[in-house]
Amino acid sequence: MTIPDAPDVRACRVDIDSTGALFQAAAKGDAAAWEALVGRLSPLVWSVVRSHRLIDADAHEVFQTTWFRLADNLTRIREPDKVGSWLASTARHECLKVIRGSRRVVPTSDVDVLSPEADDRSPEQAVLDAEEAAGQEAALRRVWQAYEQLSDNCRRLLRVLMASPPPSYAEIAAGLGIAIGSIGPTRGRCLGHLRRLLT
Amino acid sequence: MTCVNGDVDDDAELEGALRRAAELLDPVPASLVEVAVEAFRFRTVDAELAELTFDSMTGTAAVRGPAQARVLGFGGQAAGLDLEITAAGPSRRVVGQVTPPAHAVVEVRGDTPVSVTTDALGRFIVDRVPPGPLSFRCRVGDVVFTTEWVTV
Repeated sequence: MTIPDAPDVRACRVDIDSTGALFQAAAKGDAAAWEALVGRLSPLVWSVVRSHRLIDADAHEVFQTTWFRLADNLTRIREPDKVGSWLASTARHECLKVIRGSRRVVPTSDVDVLSPEADDRSPEQAVLDAEEAAGQEAALRRVWQAYEQLSDNCRRLLRVLMASPPPSYAEIAAGLGIAIGSIGPTRGRCLGHLRRLLT
Repeated sequence: MTCVNGDVDDDAELEGALRRAAELLDPVPASLVEVAVEAFRFRTVDAELAELTFDSMTGTAAVRGPAQARVLGFGGQAAGLDLEITAAGPSRRVVGQVTPPAHAVVEVRGDTPVSVTTDALGRFIVDRVPPGPLSFRCRVGDVVFTTEWVTV
């Protein structure tokens, strides 16, 4: 089983206090705080939308509507540190409406090609790095392709779990409309299936 | 005997790989993040927020519009907005009425804002509304309210 090496950066859980602080600052008119909030929680909203497998146009619209709603509700949300769950829940409800409106749902997601960025490393180092990166990228694609073969239930949970930074179980529950207690066991089971697909 | 901690570490490692795969292969489009950042500028600050109180797309719809019309209701007794939205080719036609019926100025919020004046009964029609996030800002006399965003 080949699992790509982790980069030398720890993926930290979001500090709930600072998310709440960002939200409160944005509510008072701080545009920079809003931008930081969007940067931090966009991957979560995107992962909820993607886990519902909307076609791209619908996914984009739901993503926008979710954030526009938050902007209008800045002074009304009573628990700033739970804004992640608010966003996940809002995105989920909007996704369900779109699906109910008989818009098409994409069967599989396309895999995009990552193009390397220009920089000023030496040519030799750039080649070595490119080969290493290509190896890493190939390994990640294999993981993704194996993930695509999992059951609907597993793909739905793992797609939200995959958000960066890692979402809390409360946020996952809000994004999928499932009980928090079911997340741990389902995660373990689905990762087990994924591991077997990779061996 | 299986080492439970080892399994937990393997799960964390595999989850991490999935996370990196998602970042590489299905990240949030940068253009979308920009749109979300921009939303701060046109957020509602000074108007009441009229929540979605009825949507023909959820629950059992006792009221149905013409075929393929979506019926929406926002707000409460003091001031509200009723809408009927139909698809017209690639865009949308919005037929609306401010409630209680009264002359009003209605602004369609979003990418290309449009402003319309209702008749004396608060009725208006807006054509060629692009699909996507939609919200209305209504000024009825001294009252200003904004509907929450919906996706049409």
